[in-house]
Amino acid sequence: MSKDAVRRALGFIRAHRNPDGGWGYRPGRRSLVEPTGLCLVALAADGERTDARAGLDFLRSCRKNSGAIGIDPSDPEGSWMAYAAILAFDALGASDEARRLAEWTLAMEDASGRFTADEVSSIAMTYRYDAAIRGWPWTPGTTAWVEPTALFMISLVKAGISPEHERLKSGVRLLVDRRVRSGGWNFGNPFSQSQELEASPLSTALALAGLGAAGYSVERAAVREGLRYLSGALGGDVSTVALAWSGLALSCYPLEGPERPDPVARLAALQAGEGGFRDNLFETALAAIVLSDPARLVLTAGRAG
Amino acid sequence: MSGAALTRRAAVRALAAAAASTFPVTFSACRREEDRPTGKPALPVALLPCADYEPVTLAKALTDGWAATAPPDVRGKRVVIKPNIADFSPDRPIHTDARLVEALILHLRGVGAGEVIVAEGPPHNRDTEWLFRQTGYEDLARRLGVPLVDLNHDDVRAVRNANPRAKALRDLYLPESVLSADVIVSVAKLKTHRFAGITLSLKNLFGVVPGIKYGWPKNVLHWNGIPLSICEVNATVRTRYSVVDGVVGMEGYGPILGTARRAGVLVMGSNSLAVDATAARVMGVDPARVDYLAMAQTIELGSLRSEDILLTGAKLADVRADFVLPPGFSALRAAPRK
Repeated sequence: MSKDAVRRALGFIRAHRNPDGGWGYRPGRRSLVEPTGLCLVALAADGERTDARAGLDFLRSCRKNSGAIGIDPSDPEGSWMAYAAILAFDALGASDEARRLAEWTLAMEDASGRFTADEVSSIAMTYRYDAAIRGWPWTPGTTAWVEPTALFMISLVKAGISPEHERLKSGVRLLVDRRVRSGGWNFGNPFSQSQELEASPLSTALALAGLGAAGYSVERAAVREGLRYLSGALGGDVSTVALAWSGLALSCYPLEGPERPDPVARLAALQAGEGGFRDNLFETALAAIVLSDPARLVLTAGRAG
Repeated sequence: MSGAALTRRAAVRALAAAAASTFPVTFSACRREEDRPTGKPALPVALLPCADYEPVTLAKALTDGWAATAPPDVRGKRVVIKPNIADFSPDRPIHTDARLVEALILHLRGVGAGEVIVAEGPPHNRDTEWLFRQTGYEDLARRLGVPLVDLNHDDVRAVRNANPRAKALRDLYLPESVLSADVIVSVAKLKTHRFAGITLSLKNLFGVVPGIKYGWPKNVLHWNGIPLSICEVNATVRTRYSVVDGVVGMEGYGPILGTARRAGVLVMGSNSLAVDATAARVMGVDPARVDYLAMAQTIELGSLRSEDILLTGAKLADVRADFVLPPGFSALRAAPRK
């Protein structure tokens, strides 16, 4: 069942590769680094080489002299989509390129150094987080948030950067600091003025996957409470992409028993007849990875030492 | 209290003056003939009582308001409706009500629009599938056969910022669905905003800035300065018509955590600044004290002055509902009703 679902998903991906070697978010749309990177990771496990070579060439065309990678060849700046390129380079054995991009990522600045002590103190009072902790922003030089921090952590560990690296340890600190106190994560504002902001399944799944990639223990309160929130949220309306990231996040932690949610079965049921998920190539690639082998993105619980 | 107000007024004046240097008033890309009230007929804005979201109520208000406000000719054209879907809560009216957008789609089809598209790029919740479903837009799009576009993940293209002195956003990446539109209709929610004071048609255009380039919550716009970013985006992407959903708005700690406030009106017109100034007055806010509205006035995106606005429909005094303002924004309050 799962094997057939993955085969059909990969067929959908192959059918919608653009002439430039990349993929857009949807069939026929312009190639971008994030969907291209994930499609390449999904295809890599299938022993794909022809599509992979063209896809890698597309990613290389997006590189800047600084070592960064933009969202597409025309983008003059570095982008958060570098995480997907790192994963693709790593999955396809282009380890030198993965390492160079990882180095750029490790040097990427967020806004933590731009805040004055007064601003850090004011943010702590109003929003209850520590703006001095370094994480990763969506665009260089701006504020770090939960989701790009988690995405970069996943890709860096996959590319061989040790979770003991100071930058990754700081990423873990940021994720733990930004959690919603009643459990889970939103985009990165746990509190505002006098009210707690709500967590969301997508942000929580990403944060848990990021922490899981960095080997953060299930025994820690942030993880336990995050898993509890996610288990509850998965009982309600959850999007395709949140289900996929939830499947990935849960694979990081050794949970058993009847209360363990099963987003993967629910995800598989969303596949359309032609093999895609929501007619979205990024989501299809992510679903294919989760349905076949989440260990291609994160250290799964069964494989932990 | 008055000291605080004076300080704020002085700050707004200083900001407007600074705008002249960061955002020259003389650049032509920003100006449209219809936005220049001097020596021309006043900018028409309609203030329509609208007690609820029933289709009949909305249809009448939209038809009356459209006819009274020199609307754009949409016949055969591709019209993009940009609602505000900042987030979703079952308890708080954060988003533009989908029933209003449904009535607007039917109205636009009725006046001959060639194609109508609904498009939004939510600012911080990346889960657009979930947001579109929860807010009723997914269902609306399916029922009416209208494309529903996630602007955060649309194809994008860099265009030159209309502000020739722009720094952080010299080239502004924008979605193709927006760039290829013949007519953009901003359909905002009448809300307070913890950083900007109030959020209406002009601020609503932050949602056209694509997340794939600028991230969530589009933090580049904040680091660039919210008033300047609002003006740069609106000078570059010109809205041809604006509708503000004030049937039920949000007061207090908006735009997400505020509380529902019924104002029972729609505010409509073809000049966003004039519409926003009128909507601000409905909220009991002096628009001249709102940083980004003052800056928009300085760069001639239209006018916020009462004397430049031809108001039709309800009388302002009859619908004014002094919204509770966010902390730190009490100086925006207009003079009390006479």
